[in-house]
Amino acid sequence: MNRTQAEIKLKRVFNIEHFYDEQWNAISKILAGERVLMIERTGFGKSLCYQFPAILFQGITIVFSPLIALMRDQVNGLKSKGINAAYINSEQSEEENNQVIEQALNNQLKILYIAPERQENQQWLEAVRKMRLSMVVIDEAHTISTWGHDFRPAFRRIINLVELLPSHLPVLATTATATKRVQHDIEQQIGGKLTTIRGSLKRENFKLFVIRVKSEEEKMIWLAQHLNSFKGTGIIYSGTRFATENYAKWLQYVGIDAIDYNAGFDADTRKSVEKGLLENKWKCIVSTNALGMGIDKPDIRFVIHTQMPVSPIHYYQEIGRAGRDGLPTIIILFFNDNKDEQSGVSQDLELPKHFIESSRPSKSKYMKIIELLKEEPLSERLLAQKSNIKLGQVRTIKYDLMDQGIIKEVLLGKSKKYEYQYNAPTLNYQLFDRLRELKLKDLRSMEKYVYTSSPRMGYLCHFLDSDEDSTYSNCDNTNLPKAIIKEQDSLLANKLQEFRETYFPVLELCDFSFKTPTFDGEKIRFTVRTPYPDVIEIKKGEQLYRFENSIKDNYFTEQELGIIKDIISQHRKNKSHITNGVAAAYYGVTNVGTTLHRCKYNNGGDFPQFLLKLTLKAFRKIFGAFSFDMVLYVPPTISGDLVRNFATSFASIIKVPICHRLTKTRTTKEQKVFNNRFGKHDNVENAFDIDIDVKDKTIILIDDIYDSGETLKEIGRLLTTKGAKWIAPVVIAKTVGGTPQ
Amino acid sequence: MNQELTYWVTLASMPVMWTRRKNEIYINCFKHEPRITITQLFEQPSLWPELGITQEEAQLFTQAKAELANNSFLVEDLLSQGYNIIPLHSPEYPITLKQNLKSGAPSVIYTKGNIELLHKPSVAVVGSRNADNVSLEFTKNIVEKEVAQGKVIVSGFAKGIDRQALDSTLEHAGESIIVLPQGITTFNSGYKQYYKPITQGKVLVLSSFHPKAPWCVEFAMARNAIIYGLASSIYAAQSDNKGGTWQGVTDGLRKGREIFVRYPNKEEKNANLLLIQKGAKAVDFFGESLTLSSEELMTAEEKEKNKIDNGIRHLLSRGITTSKEIISALKLDWSDSKMKNYLRKMLDIEEIKIKNKIYFKSKTFAQQSALVFEDEVPYSNNKDINK
Repeated sequence: MNRTQAEIKLKRVFNIEHFYDEQWNAISKILAGERVLMIERTGFGKSLCYQFPAILFQGITIVFSPLIALMRDQVNGLKSKGINAAYINSEQSEEENNQVIEQALNNQLKILYIAPERQENQQWLEAVRKMRLSMVVIDEAHTISTWGHDFRPAFRRIINLVELLPSHLPVLATTATATKRVQHDIEQQIGGKLTTIRGSLKRENFKLFVIRVKSEEEKMIWLAQHLNSFKGTGIIYSGTRFATENYAKWLQYVGIDAIDYNAGFDADTRKSVEKGLLENKWKCIVSTNALGMGIDKPDIRFVIHTQMPVSPIHYYQEIGRAGRDGLPTIIILFFNDNKDEQSGVSQDLELPKHFIESSRPSKSKYMKIIELLKEEPLSERLLAQKSNIKLGQVRTIKYDLMDQGIIKEVLLGKSKKYEYQYNAPTLNYQLFDRLRELKLKDLRSMEKYVYTSSPRMGYLCHFLDSDEDSTYSNCDNTNLPKAIIKEQDSLLANKLQEFRETYFPVLELCDFSFKTPTFDGEKIRFTVRTPYPDVIEIKKGEQLYRFENSIKDNYFTEQELGIIKDIISQHRKNKSHITNGVAAAYYGVTNVGTTLHRCKYNNGGDFPQFLLKLTLKAFRKIFGAFSFDMVLYVPPTISGDLVRNFATSFASIIKVPICHRLTKTRTTKEQKVFNNRFGKHDNVENAFDIDIDVKDKTIILIDDIYDSGETLKEIGRLLTTKGAKWIAPVVIAKTVGGTPQ
Repeated sequence: MNQELTYWVTLASMPVMWTRRKNEIYINCFKHEPRITITQLFEQPSLWPELGITQEEAQLFTQAKAELANNSFLVEDLLSQGYNIIPLHSPEYPITLKQNLKSGAPSVIYTKGNIELLHKPSVAVVGSRNADNVSLEFTKNIVEKEVAQGKVIVSGFAKGIDRQALDSTLEHAGESIIVLPQGITTFNSGYKQYYKPITQGKVLVLSSFHPKAPWCVEFAMARNAIIYGLASSIYAAQSDNKGGTWQGVTDGLRKGREIFVRYPNKEEKNANLLLIQKGAKAVDFFGESLTLSSEELMTAEEKEKNKIDNGIRHLLSRGITTSKEIISALKLDWSDSKMKNYLRKMLDIEEIKIKNKIYFKSKTFAQQSALVFEDEVPYSNNKDINK
């Protein structure tokens, strides 16, 4: 097929007149069965380079993509053009994934998107052996380079696969962010006869600013002042899950339409926020960098970073999601350059530095895992339990050991286990040191971006080895004014203080139940949960309804109502009656944490009055409207009567009887000595009992620190089996991302 | 290059075509000037005619080519789970196997564990699934002796002798190759049970079948050929006169292999002695070679038969007689018709009728009867093991 013929087809199917030269260059090579690596900026039209050949091929094109949001958007787009496409990922039910596999096996699909992790799934591997395969695509190919900025360990298997593919099968790898070093690495991984096509990464419509501040407060106040004056909708990236929640709640507090998002949310919530983003439902979404990559929204009008990313590649990648329509787009990076007196490190460098430095667990932890696996094959869960190492770290270790050929992931029956390999090389821990050095170097380049006086886009393109010879403007170092923090707005400063004292973290403890019935051939998912006493939340598809005491039937059809009532009665029967809880503060953000620590571990005496007052305030805000029958408290492990005394005072103030009959049936260890939830769960399982009647009682359950929630969940289960109506947890502090030491 | 493994696995998995033929085609590629790689074999159909590939075979290759990409996924999965894929031309492929099985050697073998074991001197210990105690003890003796000499013990992981050989090997800190009658990925319980020996390099698990294939009888038979092929020498502890061990040993003897069979005790009812008669070397309980007299070479039945035959000949050497007289003279508990039939089968005796009465007489007095055994029907390996 020559270019003219191809463009006739292009017009007919995609309604596009012409290919860019670089696109046609790639496509003609793919049609000849060759391998191509494309490095082009976001919005260039890389996907067309596989979508077009895919419709010409007889069989199916498999696209490995780490981006679930992208899969969804791309598949919808292709379907609207009449092209059979589908995806398989963890967001879909097994049934839905099976249907897609069935279609693929019947050669009814042209393009199939799958997450790289699927390559570890036996069912997929069995199925793909019987599909008619025409092409393999690796999207976001920088992730297959160990020198890339976010190497995904699951991609290791994709590399191995590509190496094994027959030489006549076309392979396309695409990325928008690859330095020369990463490019060479990808070229080596893909191997074979490979052509690399590299375009300019310059984004002319970006207006780039850096705002230097002296505190977190200054960022928050600046955003409160300016955000509503920005055109359109956009994204604020902040470094931690806690920060996303904090910023979003603050912006809401000052009347800006904001919502938070992070990868820890369940699939439904993530989907509905992503959908809301496309529909401009909010002025901004405050997110960790989990959001936005691959979202097919052309008009994200601003991207603001309250926290500096770990490298210019990350930064380019994250801002690259904005302004794909070519219209003016505001890009802001906040930087708190207040330096720590001792280390001399700018405050905003601490978090990325910490990320880099703690990215690998200690060598002794690696050795511990190796020793365990020399004895017997173990699952990830058993490894975590036996080693008492945090699950996240176990994963990192496991992937590194697999990468170095020391262990392998094997399938024994249906369970995945890890096996030590005969003749395994010794652990190369220096490799991690080298990687860390390189990452720290990249971080220094990111820091230089703040202080550079050269054009900012030029700085980024240069870092990415973009192929171009160009002049750059459109930033606060060239033609645009510098944004400078002026005097503090005292009104907003007071408001921020007020926000901090009245913002109480939620403890997500309530369980949910769901059913997915089919109405008129369409599947609708109904989810039910009871987040607070007498409150029922019903989610029908993505629509959320909230009722107190009873459901208003006029929202639902009779058929739907029947199903909902069914779910509710099953839910009450089978699930824990614990509701969501409330904490008076985050541990470590205010002086609450240090006070608790002093009382618990340094004989600081009873919890002081201010903690009681703050906790009462939190309680009244969330649970003030409900009446309770009794106050229980979590029996102590080591801190004596602190919680007992606290709960007694608490109960007498709210005039609810205190009860001391919740006891431990066996000794447990402090939860904080367990580094993962499996250990924590086993530590408290069946460890409690109560010897008074709690049937139909509404109970307040008090504890001092909330971490994994395993203890409260366990007590919730106990009280539910004893017939308690509601269990409402109240704690003094919630930890931020992990156990306080 | 790992990519070639995709092509090798595809070749090995091709249906209909025999292993022997697949190997022949590859050998043609190898001998071609310039050499044709396995990749070119699949990717360049224009080469097929000069490689002697028939039209029917060309069709099979075309079908197989369409499955290459699929097999990439299989190969990736196998490698990622720590299995080794060893094609015929690889330096890792055991030379003994190639020398013993020639062009019938499997095109690809799949292993897990220490592949260095494939290149060490090895001994196979084979025998019945329902072995007697004496055979199990014999197995222990052999293993102890051979392990002490640094030999790798090859066995088939069946009940009885096979399992005893493996367990004794490990007891003596020896090394062992387990040859599976199934695909390499379907041995979960074994991988769990022998986890430490495998990870410590003491055990190698090997299969010549499709990696996902479940156990079946044909594989169990075909597997024996691999066991014999891998071993430099072979010990049989106990064999019945049919079944896997019998077939394996007789097959091995026909191919000229040196096979040691335990010389059985008098009361044993097995076919060990038959195998020795067929040319297997007799060894004692400790594996030491025995030189046997013709008397010792006879089975109990043969000795009994010999006694009767000699008695009959002795009687007939004195003149003609009736079957009844023979029965009473030899004090046998036989019916008259049984004796008649027996006599009729003796080649040096003839029947004569005198006045309607049947008598028997010897054709020659001096002739000694010789032991003649029909050769076995040759074991035909016409089922392709990868089908």
